[in-house]
Amino acid sequence: MPWIVKRIGVSLLLMWVVATVVFLALHMVPGDPAELLLSTGGAMPDAYAIAELREKLGLNRPLWEQYLGFLEGLSRGDLGNSLVDDYPVADEILLRLPRTLELILAGTIISVIIALPAGTFAAVRAGGAFDRVASSLAALLQAVPVFVLGTLLILLLAQTLRWMPAGGYVPLAQDPVRHLVLLSLPAIAIAKGLTATVFRMTRASVLDALSRDHVRTARAKGLTPQRVLRRHVVRNALIPVTTVLGLQMGTLLGGTVLVEYVFNWPGLSTPLLRAVEGRDYPMVVGIVLTVSGLFLLINLAMDLLYAALDPRISRS
Amino acid sequence: MPTLNRRTLLGAAAGAASLPVLFNPARAQQRPTTIRFGLSAWPPNLQPWVSTGASAGTVKLLIHRRLIGFDEKGEMRGELAREWGLDAQGAWVFRLRPEAVFHNGERVTSEDVKWTIEQMAAERSTAYYRQQMQQVERVETPDAHTVRLVMKEQSATVPLWFTNYNMGIVWRGSRDMNAPIGCGPYRVTSQERGTWIEVQAAPNYWVPGLPRTRTIRFTVYADENLRLAALQSGDMDMIEYVPWSGMAAVEANPRLTLATQMGPFMDILFNGTRPPFDNPLVRRAVAHAVKREDIVRVAFSGRGKVLEGMPISEGTPWFDPELARGHAYDPERSKALLAQAGHPNGFATTLLAASQFAMHKDSAEISQQYLAAIGIRAELQLVDWSTRVSRGIRGQYDLAVHGVSSEFNDPDGLSVVMDTSLSPAHGRSFGVRAPRTTELLAKGRQEFDQAKRVEIYRDMQRAALEEVPLVGLAWREQGYGFDRRITGFANLPAALSTASGALLEFAAFG
Repeated sequence: MPWIVKRIGVSLLLMWVVATVVFLALHMVPGDPAELLLSTGGAMPDAYAIAELREKLGLNRPLWEQYLGFLEGLSRGDLGNSLVDDYPVADEILLRLPRTLELILAGTIISVIIALPAGTFAAVRAGGAFDRVASSLAALLQAVPVFVLGTLLILLLAQTLRWMPAGGYVPLAQDPVRHLVLLSLPAIAIAKGLTATVFRMTRASVLDALSRDHVRTARAKGLTPQRVLRRHVVRNALIPVTTVLGLQMGTLLGGTVLVEYVFNWPGLSTPLLRAVEGRDYPMVVGIVLTVSGLFLLINLAMDLLYAALDPRISRS
Repeated sequence: MPTLNRRTLLGAAAGAASLPVLFNPARAQQRPTTIRFGLSAWPPNLQPWVSTGASAGTVKLLIHRRLIGFDEKGEMRGELAREWGLDAQGAWVFRLRPEAVFHNGERVTSEDVKWTIEQMAAERSTAYYRQQMQQVERVETPDAHTVRLVMKEQSATVPLWFTNYNMGIVWRGSRDMNAPIGCGPYRVTSQERGTWIEVQAAPNYWVPGLPRTRTIRFTVYADENLRLAALQSGDMDMIEYVPWSGMAAVEANPRLTLATQMGPFMDILFNGTRPPFDNPLVRRAVAHAVKREDIVRVAFSGRGKVLEGMPISEGTPWFDPELARGHAYDPERSKALLAQAGHPNGFATTLLAASQFAMHKDSAEISQQYLAAIGIRAELQLVDWSTRVSRGIRGQYDLAVHGVSSEFNDPDGLSVVMDTSLSPAHGRSFGVRAPRTTELLAKGRQEFDQAKRVEIYRDMQRAALEEVPLVGLAWREQGYGFDRRITGFANLPAALSTASGALLEFAAFG
């Protein structure tokens, strides 16, 4: 069997495992969607109303029957409808996924803009004042939880100085300037950890590249230090940095929950959180499947890329 | 890959620095035709009769009109009904306003009211007031604007049923209950699931001069601190559920107004189906064990009041200052009651509370400490809300801390939390036998003479202090914060606070 077919097959198998595990786990934890929906806001519904809603939602069917129904829908590409308001899960994901991806992309761009030059400079002046300060700052950024930074940003820039909105979202087409303003704080919060990681990676890679033979040769040939740095050091050092960046972006897919919550950014995390709280099974499974599918897709793309770069991988 | 140089970096830095200048929240505030309202939760749906929480209620109160509403003092006033009362045969008669029309232009008639009641009472209905509507033996419509309800059992609080925000009257031709046709001051014009809902004034609203504001845009801020920040920064003009820790800041802000009411309360619930809490002496021991001042101070930043009796609001005819202290803090008495119940050395038990609500968690932690002081060693079980609801309904707990509100300001509104003969619910004690309390609640409901009702409900409080279907802990303030320029809005008193959304039709800038 060709390597690529096997790799895609493994990815599909993993998707099925994820879907099954999430489906079963959700049904095993306490909490009933009908009870929760009718108890919203502290209301105390009577037992008949709960029983009736359970019947309407199909929750009285045996678990295996619900599971088979779910798999059957999945095979047709149908993620089902929300138990709360019958809204199609796919529509919700299509609306919100681009926003989460936009947030991740914005955070990544901020990280790259800051961390690449800073990491390079810190490596070139290793042991200098900038290196020491930047390395300490990177350690601090990695240590500070994202919700603490988010809350501090809101407290300072929104509540105290009133320079920025506290959070929210406006579509780009409706008001591009406000869209970018609202994007900026959550993107900075997302960028926090990534900046520190990319900075450290860049610094280490550049330091490594600086000690390579070809760099010494380039210097011996009489190239200017800037040219050596740009063409022979940074370019080579970027390969591992890009790999880490790709993996980190995948991780961020599932890591935006707190940022989106703190800044009221209506991405994929908000409905996921609400669906978990309300035991809205189809919505939870649909969103988790989407995120894990994307993650697997990124991994698959990376594998294919490596295989293209190094044919020995596909042969092995 | 783009070349990174000094010029690029400086350009990016300048762009970032200009962001605050590009956005001026104060400028955005100057939109008198729109009120931007920060909701605490996304309404799961806007089905008119299914209870989906107070935030959903706020929106539903704008789309629909009930037979009866409240004025800003909490007194009943007609919405669709211009008058109501008992006729000589003991049936409730509601006379409708002839000028009322639905959003589709159809007149509101007695047939619509009849259809609405029948839909709610139907066998497969999930309406919040289904049981009450099933108490209606038949609905008669003598003419287009008169509705006559013949009841199976008399109840003095029937008009109050029709004030609930889950009791909107819907056009009888409505088929899609996710988008029913109402007759309220506003219509939903656009929304994004989970994020915002925009309502605009219904062009054919039948009350002259109302609503005062053309558009209300609801944005969901689930995090209470962010909701408060949105108000303070000018992103929102009005918010509900102002967090207690932020109330002082809103009061001190010259641009803002804080409107609070002492409405909801915290309590301890029991599983009465097994020892030791099947014994009323043990429940009374718990009632005298907790020093409530600490809960008010810690959980509510002082924005509450101790609750040492049954949850009857001060200032109402049913309030009795002596009975209100019937479960006053008295650890010696608690120990004596425990000894009398056969537990002189206390016992080990569990205390269930929802982890994601600080007021539940804090109240539970403080209660746990005070219970330990009299020998009740309660293991704190903090669970997510879904598990809390599930375990509450199934009686999978010993003690539970809960936060709740009465249905309305009449003591009959407390039946939902005190009548333990009702079906199991997460906000009611599980299987606790309190027969005298239940009986007196029913007696009060059936009595029409006000003086007699006052006496019955005082007797009910006495019975409940002994039978202890719940232990009151603290009243808590319920607050709306809004731009000082907004007029016409009021926070309804006590238990009605969460229904204040109905008054948004009177709210406007200036």
